[in-house]
Amino acid sequence: MELAVQLITYGLLMGFIFAFIALGLALIFGVMNIVNFAHGEFLMIGMYVALLISSYLPFDPLFSLPMAAVVGFLLGTVSYRYLVQYILRGPMVAQLFGTFGLMLFLRYLFMLIFGPDVRSIKQGILVGKTLSLGWVRLDVSKIVSAGLCLLLFAFVYWMINRTKLGRALKATSIDAEAARYMGIDTEKMNTLAWGVGGATVGIAGGLLAHFYYITPTIGMLFILIAFATVALGGFGSILGTFIAGLIIGLIQVVGGHYLSELKFTFVYIAYFLAVVLRPRGFFGW
Amino acid sequence: MRSKNFVLFLFVSILSVLIVSPTLFAQVKEVKIGVILPLSGALAPIGKSLKEGAELAADIVNKKYPEIDIPIAKWEGIPNLGGAKIKLIFADSRGDPGWGADQAKRLIEDEKVIGLLGAYQSSVTKTASVEAERAGIPFINPDSTSPALSKRGFKWFWRVTPHETWFTADLFDLLDGLVKGKAPGVGPVPKEKINTLAVAAENTEWGAASLAEIEKFAAERGYKIVEAIKYPHKAADLTSETRRMIVSKAGCFLFAPYVADAILFVKTMKEMKAAPLFIWGQNAGFIEADFYKTLGADVNGILTRDLFSPELAKVKPVAGQLNAMYRKMTGYDFSGSSARDFVGVQVWAHVLNNAGSTSPEALRKALNELFIPPEQLIMPWKGVKFGSPFSGDTQQNELGSGVINQYQGYPDGKLHIIYPFEFATSKLIYPFPGWK
Repeated sequence: MELAVQLITYGLLMGFIFAFIALGLALIFGVMNIVNFAHGEFLMIGMYVALLISSYLPFDPLFSLPMAAVVGFLLGTVSYRYLVQYILRGPMVAQLFGTFGLMLFLRYLFMLIFGPDVRSIKQGILVGKTLSLGWVRLDVSKIVSAGLCLLLFAFVYWMINRTKLGRALKATSIDAEAARYMGIDTEKMNTLAWGVGGATVGIAGGLLAHFYYITPTIGMLFILIAFATVALGGFGSILGTFIAGLIIGLIQVVGGHYLSELKFTFVYIAYFLAVVLRPRGFFGW
Repeated sequence: MRSKNFVLFLFVSILSVLIVSPTLFAQVKEVKIGVILPLSGALAPIGKSLKEGAELAADIVNKKYPEIDIPIAKWEGIPNLGGAKIKLIFADSRGDPGWGADQAKRLIEDEKVIGLLGAYQSSVTKTASVEAERAGIPFINPDSTSPALSKRGFKWFWRVTPHETWFTADLFDLLDGLVKGKAPGVGPVPKEKINTLAVAAENTEWGAASLAEIEKFAAERGYKIVEAIKYPHKAADLTSETRRMIVSKAGCFLFAPYVADAILFVKTMKEMKAAPLFIWGQNAGFIEADFYKTLGADVNGILTRDLFSPELAKVKPVAGQLNAMYRKMTGYDFSGSSARDFVGVQVWAHVLNNAGSTSPEALRKALNELFIPPEQLIMPWKGVKFGSPFSGDTQQNELGSGVINQYQGYPDGKLHIIYPFEFATSKLIYPFPGWK
């Protein structure tokens, strides 16, 4: 019983974090059908924003979250306006290599500025605080991440399904041409999707920096899991991404308990099965 | 007239030979050595410090530093090669065995290096050294510790560093010493308290070799492994692995990860309030500057096997001098890894000088006859001499040894030598104090 409670709690907690990171990717893919390879680097930049603010300004790293969101939003919109918009006119291969190039550019730009050193945030209201709940001990910043993850998912879900703007986004994702005929400014919608996608992953980075180490190559660790999450949940499905994130969190913690060496293999087997048995994922269209 | 013509012909011939092939008579100006290190990717922080260690050694060979009391500092180049300078050509292995081998090939064929140095990760050293073996040029390995590397019977591979077998023996000597009350500042500890071990090793060649050595020594010395975990390296999350170690209730937690995973393990143990009596890290991740800079006070009480400590200056003045230079150059102290790459270049310098030539056979002979006495080394070794210290080893330095250090008083503290007990620079903090 103790084992089950611990594994499920730790698994769900990691799942919230994976889902949080994948949210922006799902949004961008859902609206534009383009895979953003630089998503992990957006996460890394969110982490550096938190690090810089807590190191050089007299603020708690928690206050860096709005700033990380703003930086993420700008990064998303600028990437779209000055890169993605152009490569979309090219063949599929150009789209793939375009964001792949952006990934390398951002990663090594940060390597140039900050060096390959590993850093971490040492002080903050949430940093290093733990909470004991019966059989489990949890990092407070992970609990806050899970809470914020829920809130942001709820917000994005509400925005997509209940607002006019969201419906316009959805229309653009289903049929951009038809949406244009209906008077929707699809370019604006695409920019918005990249902006919101960037902002959510920026916030995820700001939170991740509270309990994780920071280095320019950190995006690599999370990007593959984020892809698996989005594919499993169904490309473009917000709810699907959320559920898939939790499932992947559980798979890798439970798998790690029994066969640590293969824990990510289990995750990718789930991904593979989803691709073979249900290519559109749980909730994709 | 005929003789005049003959003299003129001779003069022109000699002149033309001199003009056409100036290198025939010129001194060797520089000697190119290829250095393969992980300079990008997850291991880039370590790669950078190794590169700096090698660069400092090359600088000391190439320029004159009369105040440093080792021969290479007084040479200004390689004396028996007419003062030729050592030129290190660095190549990035990206931490990838396949890419590392490609780089070895490139250095040999395109850069025309006379030999290689590197490549830190045992898996990369394994593949890169095959290229040197094929080409028939020396590969000097100062920094990889998988025991299998020196058991391949290679003709062109020499290893300077002691391998895992030494380090694991040191760990069990320390544990045995703790039971017998030999550890500085700690009375005898009942064996049943520390004879249960939980081990987490990454699933690379080095990690697997570390785990196998620990299992072998534990069986020989009467310790019980209650949990042995091989985890995927560069993991995004190590919650379940840490949890398994905690619930195993082992007295000693032993780790063999690189730096990113080492940091994640300590953070997760702190989060879960793990309370082992003894934490030991198998070098690598546990000794890099990023480890203690990132974790600050959370490293206090953690032990790590190592080959170097700035505290060695107390017993070896040359270690203090060279570490001060390295610190001035980089802003941090030598680690066991960067200090060994310094020694790697030092070995190359001695070999080139003893051989007096860059021909592979002359270098091979010089390597097999090499002896560097302990007072010339920054490491706490008895010297450098290649032989067969353990069964199956060939061309392995038989005079190396390790130390076990403990982090004390961080963030502004020091790595204190605990083992060998006779070199101890502080009392052992036991049991592990836990995290605040």
